[in-house]
Formats: sequence, structure tokens, C-alpha cells
Amino acid sequence: MSQRKLRPYILFGFVTTHDALAAEEVLKKTGIPVSAVPTPSSLAGGLCGIALRIEPVDSDRVRAQLADRGIDVRAEVEMGDF
Amino acid sequence: MSANKSTSPAPSIYLDHGATSWPKPQPVVDAVVRALTELGGNPGRGAYAMALAASRAIYDARRSCAQLLGVPDSRDLLFQPSCTHACNLMLKGILKPGDRVVVGSMEHNAIARPLARLASEDVEVVVVSADRTGFVDPGDIEREVCARPTRAVICQHASNLTGTVQPIEEMAEIAHERGALLLVDGAQGGGHLQVDIGAMNPDAYALSGHKGLLGPQGIGLLYLASGFDVQEQTEGGTGGGSSESLEMPPERPDRYEAGTANTSGIVGLGAAARFLAEEGDLQRKQEAALARRLHEGVLDIGGFRVLGPPPEVPRVPIVSIVHDSVEADRIAFALDRGYRVAVRAGLHCAPWAHETVGTLECGAVRLGIGWGNTTEQVDTVLAALAEIVS
Repeated sequence: MSQRKLRPYILFGFVTTHDALAAEEVLKKTGIPVSAVPTPSSLAGGLCGIALRIEPVDSDRVRAQLADRGIDVRAEVEMGDF
Repeated sequence: MSANKSTSPAPSIYLDHGATSWPKPQPVVDAVVRALTELGGNPGRGAYAMALAASRAIYDARRSCAQLLGVPDSRDLLFQPSCTHACNLMLKGILKPGDRVVVGSMEHNAIARPLARLASEDVEVVVVSADRTGFVDPGDIEREVCARPTRAVICQHASNLTGTVQPIEEMAEIAHERGALLLVDGAQGGGHLQVDIGAMNPDAYALSGHKGLLGPQGIGLLYLASGFDVQEQTEGGTGGGSSESLEMPPERPDRYEAGTANTSGIVGLGAAARFLAEEGDLQRKQEAALARRLHEGVLDIGGFRVLGPPPEVPRVPIVSIVHDSVEADRIAFALDRGYRVAVRAGLHCAPWAHETVGTLECGAVRLGIGWGNTTEQVDTVLAALAEIVS
């Protein structure tokens, strides 16, 4: 039986909804694919309820874009799903 | 907007924009309807599609308001239930027992009453008299600020009684040179004046959303300068993963926005901000022209005193009048019942201001110009006033 492989993605977490949506706006304007998702309870401590999911290949660009805009990123974790 | 149905209480001519604007531009109405019909999720409390849409609409509204008002970082612009709530947060979140404040004598009760409470808690309140036109001399403020260590200068941007506009930039310089803060009640400023908070440089600036800014009632704004620590006055839910903490998060805007947001009010205000970004300059010119026409026309009738500066001095479009023999309430009643003209008589929640200009005993009739008023309406009101006092 073959084992299904997890598909990795990167999740960015923010303290305020405003910051999460500001980040989403920046990424959309830059053309970086992004999805707003519920913040997983495993990393919810101190974070707002909206996290941004991006492809691992875009993570360097995302970090640079958000740092340029002074957006406060409080968590960045690699996760996976099927 | 005219009232066509006899059952409608809507006036034929609405001149109470100093209290609240009516009617609202259609984009504001549309935005409120959309919020109530499509954005029902609780913003900041979930990531399902409708809650996300509500969160995004509030984010967009905050950005639109910040852009209109010259606020560099929209996180510093807080949604509050009203300008009065914003003033309370501004004063009670900053002032502590032992502080000294200098304030002009034209302030509305949204400032005067919180200050009275703070005075009972050992905050020293020094009131500087404005002149009979409602103008607070910056030199008088400077003398008081120099006299003793002062925590804050408090100044309204424009009077809700006389329309007098205060020099906020100059007040900010005076306060900051002496290490004091400048706290501004801008209830009558937003929309009627080109408010550029970044250029004026106050430490806090409170706004009403439903007056000159043309938003719905039940929404106000408070700007707090970046990095300025103000104690929140309301604790509660802010959504998301910080829920396990019993302390409010330090980040803006969440620290000052506990509880479910007024989505329809905020989204309506955002639409109003975008409307004013397009139409504001023209609107202000029209308002100024109408206010001057009304002011000069009232003086031509005879027997009236118009409070505030002379017609040629710029003001927000408020023309408050006192007749030498007909009482203010009788004039307002006659305008309403005889001509379906809506105005407000009395003290306008501003007893300090009425005392300053000498009308505390008699009150005044306030004619507040705003969006939707026309030259024809002003002329109709002038003819009505002439008949009433004849």
C-alpha cells in the first residue's frame, strides 16, 4: 500500500485581523497566491483568528513584501495537508 | 430630499446638519444595506466566507477614512461608538490625578462633562475664555501652558454653536513646545473642513461619523498618534487566538475596539469617506457659499444677531441666530410647523459656549448647512424667518 504524501504549505500568523488583512492586500496586489484560513488552535496563542496560507516557493517574497510594509508577522510555520 | 407622503416626518428643508447629516449620499445607504444583507458574519471572529467579507469591509473602511483624514497609519484610527465615546476615551485614557489641562471655553459637553468628572478626581482644569465670536486666542493658551507644567491642551476644531474654526496646527505647536499634548474634539470638523491630521499634528483627534462625514449614526472615530500609550477604557473580546489572555492586546486597533464591531455603521462610514474623497472639495465650497448667503440674509432681515465670526471669515457652515424679541424656541417651532424646516433651538449641549457668547439665558436657533442643501432652500428659509419675526 502506498503512503500518501503531505503537501507542504506555509502559514503566516498575525496578532490583529487588521494586520492579517493588510498582509493579504499586499500579497494580492503583488500577485502572490494567498488564502485566508482559520488560525489553527495549535498556534493560536496570541494570534488573531485569520492566518494566511501561501506556497513554500513564495515564502521569501512574502517575508520581503511584508517586512517592506512594516506588517507585524508573529508566526510562520510550515504545515502540510493532503 | 422632499417628503412626499403626509405620514413621513421628514422635513421639506433640513438644516440640522450640526446635529446629524440627512439625507445620506446613496453610496452610504447602499453600503449599509449591503452590510446588513451580505456581511452578517462577526468580523474578526471567524474565517468563514461571510465573516471574512465583513472583516475585509471594515479593513477597507478604516483605510478609506485614514486616507480621507490624512492619517499615515490606519491602525492609529480607531472606530468608536460615537465622537462622545471617542472624547471620553481620549480624556480618561490619558489624564491622571495631578495632571493639569488647559481648555478653551467653547467646548461641547462631550468634553466639558468628562472634564468635570476628571476634575473631581484631582485633574486641574484651566478654562481659557474665547472671545465673543468663539475664537480661542492661541496666545492666551500659550500663557496658561507656560504658567505651570501642563499635561494637555484641549481644543475643539470647530464650534457646534458659532462655527468658529480654531487654529489646530498652531495649538499643536504651542502644546508640543512645552511638552504638553494636544487633544482635539473634531466633531464639527470632519467633512466640513479639509481635515489633515498628519499636517495638523495633534496627539489625539476625535470625530463624529454621522455629521459632516455623512456616515450613519452610531459610529465615531478616534485618532491616536503612533506610539502614544493611552489606557483603554473598555475591556472585552477582541476575537481570535488571544482569547485565553485576560488582558487586552497592546496592538492597535484591537486594544481599543473590544466587542463586536458595528459593521453596518463602519462600512457606511467607509463609503461616505470615499464619497467625500471625490466630492468633498466641491461640497465644502457649496456649504461655505450657502452659509454666507444665509448669514448675510439673516442680517438683512433685521432684529437678528448671528453668533460667531462675521460673514467673510471662514467657518464651518453653522449659522446660529438670536432675535431681539422672538424667542429661539418659538422661531424653531414656527419653522417646523409652518414651513417644515428642521432646525435646532436651545443650548446645543454647549453651555460653556453659550455662556461665552452671551446666550446662556436665551439660547439660540442653529441653522446647520450640509450636504443636500440648495440656494433655493436657503432663500425659502430666509423668507420664512422674515415672516415669523414680522
